[in-house]
Amino acid sequence: MTEASTKQVAASREAEELATRPKIVGASVKRTEDPRLLTGKGAYVDDRKAAGMLHVAFRRSDHSHALIKSIDCSAARKADGVVAVFTAEDMSEVNAVFATSRMKNYYATPITGLATDKVRYVGEPVVGVIARSRYLAEDALELLDIAYEPLAVVIDPEEAAKPSSALLHEEAGTNVLCSREFKTGDAEAAIANAAVRVSGRFRFHRKTPTAMENRTYLAEYEPGRDELTLYTSSQVPGIIRDALSDALDMPGSQLRVIAPDVGGGFGGKASLYPEEIFVAFAARRLGCAVKWTSDRMEDLAATSQGFDQIVDAELALDAAGNAVALKAEVIGDVGAYSIYPWTAVIEPVQVVSFLPGPYKIANYHGRVRGVATSKPPTGPYRGVGRPTSTFVTERLMDMAAQRLGMDPVALRLRNMIQPDEFPHRIGSGIIWDQCAFTECLNAACAQVDYPNLRARQAEARAAGRWFGIGVACYAELTGIGSRISVAPGMPINTGTETAKIAIDSTGAVTAAFGVTAMGQGLETTLAQVVAEHLGGRVKDIRVIQGDSAAVPNATGSYASRSAVLAGGAATLAAKEVKEKIIRAASHLLETAPEDLIVEDGKVSVVGTDRALTFRQLARAVYLEMGRIPADKREELTSTKTYDPVFGTSATAAHLAVVEINPDTYEIKLERFVVAEDCGRLINPMIVDGQVHGGVAQGIGAALYEEVVYNDEGQNVTASLVDYIIPTATEVPPIDVVHIEAESVTTLNGFRGMGEGGTIGAPAAVANAVADAVAPLGIDILELPISPERLFRLIENSKNHKDPSHGHET
Amino acid sequence: MKPPPFDYFAADCIEAAIQALADAGGDGKIIAGGQSLMPMLNFRLLRPSILIDINRIPDLAYVRDDGDEIRIGPLTRHRILETSDLIAKQFPVLHEAMGYVAHLAIRNRGTIGGSLSHADPAAELPMMSLLLDARLEVQSNAGRRTIEARDFFLGALTTALEDGDMLVEVRLPKLREETGWAFEEVARRSGDFALASVAVIMDSDGDWVSDIRIGMMGVGETPMRATEAENILTGQRYSEAAVAATVDAIRAAVEPNTDLHASADYRRHLVGILAQQALAKAWDRSRRASR
Ligand SMILES: Cc1cc2nc3c(=O)[nH]c(=O)nc-3n(C[C@H](O)[C@H](O)[C@H](O)COP(=O)(O)OP(=O)(O)OC[C@H]3O[C@@H](n4cnc5c(N)ncnc54)[C@H](O)[C@@H]3O)c2cc1C
Repeated sequence: MTEASTKQVAASREAEELATRPKIVGASVKRTEDPRLLTGKGAYVDDRKAAGMLHVAFRRSDHSHALIKSIDCSAARKADGVVAVFTAEDMSEVNAVFATSRMKNYYATPITGLATDKVRYVGEPVVGVIARSRYLAEDALELLDIAYEPLAVVIDPEEAAKPSSALLHEEAGTNVLCSREFKTGDAEAAIANAAVRVSGRFRFHRKTPTAMENRTYLAEYEPGRDELTLYTSSQVPGIIRDALSDALDMPGSQLRVIAPDVGGGFGGKASLYPEEIFVAFAARRLGCAVKWTSDRMEDLAATSQGFDQIVDAELALDAAGNAVALKAEVIGDVGAYSIYPWTAVIEPVQVVSFLPGPYKIANYHGRVRGVATSKPPTGPYRGVGRPTSTFVTERLMDMAAQRLGMDPVALRLRNMIQPDEFPHRIGSGIIWDQCAFTECLNAACAQVDYPNLRARQAEARAAGRWFGIGVACYAELTGIGSRISVAPGMPINTGTETAKIAIDSTGAVTAAFGVTAMGQGLETTLAQVVAEHLGGRVKDIRVIQGDSAAVPNATGSYASRSAVLAGGAATLAAKEVKEKIIRAASHLLETAPEDLIVEDGKVSVVGTDRALTFRQLARAVYLEMGRIPADKREELTSTKTYDPVFGTSATAAHLAVVEINPDTYEIKLERFVVAEDCGRLINPMIVDGQVHGGVAQGIGAALYEEVVYNDEGQNVTASLVDYIIPTATEVPPIDVVHIEAESVTTLNGFRGMGEGGTIGAPAAVANAVADAVAPLGIDILELPISPERLFRLIENSKNHKDPSHGHET
Repeated sequence: MKPPPFDYFAADCIEAAIQALADAGGDGKIIAGGQSLMPMLNFRLLRPSILIDINRIPDLAYVRDDGDEIRIGPLTRHRILETSDLIAKQFPVLHEAMGYVAHLAIRNRGTIGGSLSHADPAAELPMMSLLLDARLEVQSNAGRRTIEARDFFLGALTTALEDGDMLVEVRLPKLREETGWAFEEVARRSGDFALASVAVIMDSDGDWVSDIRIGMMGVGETPMRATEAENILTGQRYSEAAVAATVDAIRAAVEPNTDLHASADYRRHLVGILAQQALAKAWDRSRRASR
């Protein structure tokens, strides 16, 4: 071996050691799940085939709102390969599920496997056909004869909120499924007396999550034991297990819900679906395995959608640019049902909860109504409400800056909660713990050399180019504990998480959690946390998640909770197992505990070469009786629950640079920067990936993605040709700057960050586009902003019509 | 999204394919790249009784120099046209346009015969065939005939092909080497069907436009030639005023649709902008070539 190559080997060994030791948390460990997922060896639900498995196809409503007068299934039942055809009538033994809540002014709609008596959106499942293949099942769908009596379509949420509107749920007596109000100080009076007021009617259109893997459910049933296992592409298998236990009257011990590899969720897989209820019911009724795989058309028609809010908002400032009051009236179009378990409230209420953002605004008044329409339900979507609240507040900030003749960054820094002002309670009642608000904004600006960028903009403008710079700042609550449930008053606990760590008799480490991975790399990051606190090696730790049987209460992954909560539980359990390792080794090596160290999967005596691998240790503990006194033997296991009680804030500043073609109005993103604070980083590479993906979705929300229902309630964006999502060519290079302000309120100092990219990006892009066209006197109040919308705004302003911009004159 | 039942026949020669088409009595469908047909089957928008697969017919994919013409086989994949040196040399405008057809994976499968027969109003190849005065060779049990591109596109997804017809060759008359050209397109994302597109080929004689062809798409039920605009500019001295008059004529002539992605007004605006850009580029190229 040459000297150089010896050196190289030594260096790479050193690098390897550095990667696994001494700090595993904080290292950019390559995702351990990727070799499997990238070589086609992942196991998604649809990859799973059970013996004798049957396939479901649903006949879905083609009416927006109608009474079901009759269903004739006789021809379909006789069709080739058809085993059964079920309607709601056949499912009478299945209990409806309700997303209940203790909240006032809230109505919970029943959720059933198939539409009963009435359909409330196009795409709602009405009949389930079960056949030997999906092809045959779809052929039989055409033989069903359903008679409908059409009712008034309920499409416009503002009309739907009026007492005169047709009602989707007569028993509710109104389409307003929920209303809430937050009030601090006297916003109206402060606005009336303010020097500067900016306002607008903001519209963020409906969006759909479009996970790469469509929803898929496979129920396997063992008649002899009355045991049902549902394999589901879900973010929340534990919540589904609990809901199905109620729906099917089955104890959890006979009902297991497993989410194997899941190909993206973004919130769209975080709720209970009618198809899940149906597949479980059908497997039990027929006594065999039943599978349903959504196709893309079904996904676009019936997976929970996001956003869809109208926000009338006004921001008032004093002459120096200090914000004094914010007022908002929000209407959320929540669709036809109140989704389980989150309720119809989740998305619109988060809008009013988070509108004040990272700013000090003494007077706040926010009102929200969630209004039912004959569209699919909205549910949690990456960011939940905050993409809209951030869009509104950050646009208002820019409008105010323009009005005051101030730089938008300077205005924000002036109004932000300063580093010495934490904790701070905003007008909606949320308390921000210490978090890097100003630091992130300063870092994003430094990354682009902001003054220089503005100078470049001036040059570009002088040359007739439409060049815009947009910043957006936000704050969110993540890793929420038991005292602040994710949606208030719900009968589920989102605030704790359990880790169950065991070293078995072969010395292998298994760590089981109640969370679920949808692609975000939890298998790696949780293994890193366990390895760090156990003294193990990342590659030796098998992480189990997405299985309702793994821990007693396994809710899943949503709300940027998994790193904080599961990471915390992992820490507690790993530390306890490590203590047990040391106690056992102390007997076996006849050494005082304080002279032992555990690392790299072995326990050794400091300063000697005496060591036991986990395997040797485990054999001694479990198999080689007598080596440890009987009364000192302990299983090398620990189950710990972590509750951050309140949770912690997280923040980022996004900065977008756009250039618009002044002839064609094509909008091109030139650059994107995110400076984020997610506290202590577990794996910087994975955080970067989460930011990149989130920003890409935010760009989609800002420029491309919109679910459109026409006046008849038909979804006219029912394929990916019409519902367009950004591809690699539409996403610019993204710089990510990490400000690691460790949270003081969570174990390890972690903050949640899975959703953040999608929260900041739409506002940053909107501000950049608005900045680019500011010389034309146009405001951007509606997202997504397409070339077509830009064209219309420009034409309107040319014709001296009101371009519906919100500046007071 | 599963297709209704159909029979399947893999033809091994053109004659077998057209015989199968005839046997199906108007109920059969040729499948080439499947990039347009398969989605239509999966949406159950089409219910052919039989699919006649032409992918195994030998020698249907080629680009050949044949004196005054370039001959292209119907099964020639988009990607082959895009990367063909012969096309790049003879028809740089076509070479450029091919880069705008869908995404690479689709270009690897999709064929010129399929694209022309499918006749999407916003597809590049139908527009190119119109611009380049293509002659489409069609064969059925009744024999072989030639349809001029200008007579081929009858409406959205509607062509002059009759039941039993198979498109068997596309012939493109060569252009002069000095001919100027330009292709301009706006789509929502790279690879999407065009919102509007304009292509120009132009010959100049000093300061004069001696010959010009303007093709457009996305602004009507079929791809179009801007005949009136061509007449305005032919034999004219190239000038800003002449270009403006041409653009006005184009905007007046088109009757675009409003759909989700663009209104008729925006498309009309776009087609004018693109025409302006395309005319300038084509003029520039023709002048540079003849210098
Ligand atoms: C997502 C997506 C994006 C796309 N974007 C674009 C785009 O931007 N621009 C564009 O131009 N195209 C686009 N396409 C269409 C693509 O170019 C198709 O390949 C093309 O339209 C059809 O070619 P094909 O060989 O796949 O035909 P097929 O799908 O096999 O057939 C299409 C039709 O032509 C008939 N047919 C095929 N060959 C013959 C023949 N020789 N004689 C008679 N009839 C025949 C078939 O019976 C069928 O009716 C896109 C497609 C997809 C899926």
